Amino acid sequence: METKFINESGFQDFVGKLVESRNLVGPVAKRNKFVFGEINKYEDLRLDYDVTLLPPKKLFFPPKQDILKFYGQKGESCIDPDPQILLGVHFYDIKAIDMTDLLFRENNEDYNYLANRECTTIIGSNIQNVHDRAFFGSVGTEVEPKGHDGFLTKIEGGYVFEIITAKAKELLQFGDFQDANENQIKQAEKVNAEVLTKCSEKLNNTSAEINKKVRNSFDSKIWEKTAEDCFSCGSCNIVCPTCYCFDVQDDWYLDQETGVRARSWDGCLKEDFSEVSLGQGSIENFRETRGSRYRHRIMRKATYLNEKLGGPACVGCGRCSSVCTSDIADPVNVINQIMEE
Amino acid sequence: MEGKPKVKVAYFDFACCEGCQIEMTNFGGPAFLELLNHVEIVEFREAMTETTDETIDIAFIEGSFTREADRKRLESIRERANIVIAYGACACTGGINALKNHQNDYKEAVYGKDADMPHLDSQLALPVSAAIKVDYEVNGCPMNKDEFARIVSHLLHGKTPVIPKYPVCVECKLSENVCLYELGGHCLGMVAKAGCGAPCPAQGIPCEACRGFASNPNEKTLEKVLKDRAGFSEERAKTKSRMFTANCRYDAPLKDKE
Repeated sequence: METKFINESGFQDFVGKLVESRNLVGPVAKRNKFVFGEINKYEDLRLDYDVTLLPPKKLFFPPKQDILKFYGQKGESCIDPDPQILLGVHFYDIKAIDMTDLLFRENNEDYNYLANRECTTIIGSNIQNVHDRAFFGSVGTEVEPKGHDGFLTKIEGGYVFEIITAKAKELLQFGDFQDANENQIKQAEKVNAEVLTKCSEKLNNTSAEINKKVRNSFDSKIWEKTAEDCFSCGSCNIVCPTCYCFDVQDDWYLDQETGVRARSWDGCLKEDFSEVSLGQGSIENFRETRGSRYRHRIMRKATYLNEKLGGPACVGCGRCSSVCTSDIADPVNVINQIMEE
Repeated sequence: MEGKPKVKVAYFDFACCEGCQIEMTNFGGPAFLELLNHVEIVEFREAMTETTDETIDIAFIEGSFTREADRKRLESIRERANIVIAYGACACTGGINALKNHQNDYKEAVYGKDADMPHLDSQLALPVSAAIKVDYEVNGCPMNKDEFARIVSHLLHGKTPVIPKYPVCVECKLSENVCLYELGGHCLGMVAKAGCGAPCPAQGIPCEACRGFASNPNEKTLEKVLKDRAGFSEERAKTKSRMFTANCRYDAPLKDKE
């Protein structure tokens, strides 16, 4: 692995050149928050963001995605991958993307996800500002961020650029990079290590301890009690970088002969998510109460997926905690309580 | 679908502003005319003079049921129609008409000296479903014409239309809007029935739940959030959601009879 350095003004030129020649996506401001959006000039890029509203998976797995257009029984794929560079992804989101990569690759490969994912170059960046609900320093610490192509760390005077894949190396042509010296590499390591200690929220136990205890807490009263204030609005699901459930619907155009099959992000907190047809118009819900749906989400994140992913399906971004209007979604709060039961 | 007989549809209106019918005619141009290749409109007061006493495949009903005298007309529509679709907030939930259900002086306030004229007499404003069985609903104030077209096309294909039960928050998050509570405001998106695509919060306008409530709305926690996060008074937090959901709330006049 090569490690390069570029100074502040060189970095500005680098971004400017990327904008001219590639589809560049990165964190941009939206009102008092941030989102991943198109970068049209250097000033759009907000590497000082704390967290984005939606996670970066939306760039290859859009919240609402047309999958195919149909005419009678014939269909034609709508997936039309367009190469893009995703710049400025925090390490917790890199971990999450690595998880959804695995989940969409296993069993039946999901072409609709993978086609767009594979033409995306991911360049991470260090966390300059820590979101007040983040807890990435204490969750799944045994899981390494991987699957990205390069990583930028802001240090005094410029950026250290780790080149991980050929996709990142190819970008060097757009900037005045030099080999990073030992001191610069050390500074970058220090920056990335220190940020792990800056979260105000913290899990008190290891992933293995949590996995075991949470799984054994299926009958705890905490689920129904916490979920008394749940709106079943699925906001915690929608903003989660590791949630990957989706719903598929067909709609006809007005001509009633052609139409479109589209998928959209689904969420297990929604009441209709667990409704199944029993035929003859009757419906059964296998997670009928708010508490059972709330429990399911925490179980998925803290235990069910552990074996498959090598750690929890939670990266500590804090998005669910901050979007929950009644503030019950925070995994730190509920897991720490369970650990003390 | 060529060669199939056209589906006979008719539009009826009760207590409403007829805005949803206007929205229907707003389809305009080739889009709506294309749908007309598949349906035959046999009655539509806003757009044609003919009426019908025949059997109807789909009856669309707008407006709330607010006069006992209207029950017969509703029953006659139900008898003649294979499918009844209530459309617009007034027909689906009683709409803003139902605000009068909690007031006694509305007639004097609106009609002044004419308040006692017999044709102005009305009772509780209720959804159409309070008088007859309704098969599907197209919610909203006004109803969304794209959703209307989607539901009709699903029925034309013999498919059960999928109508969300979940709250507007879902669609707001999918659109990556900044939550109005994060901007110091308030919103009813957590209890409001989705399906609209959250156009109001996207423009910074609080959701008023014009589509009625989502399934099992958490009204108690709504009051709590309105007080704690939006700084509402106890009284305002309690009544806030009433504009479009007077017949859906825990204190709805017919709640006990359901």
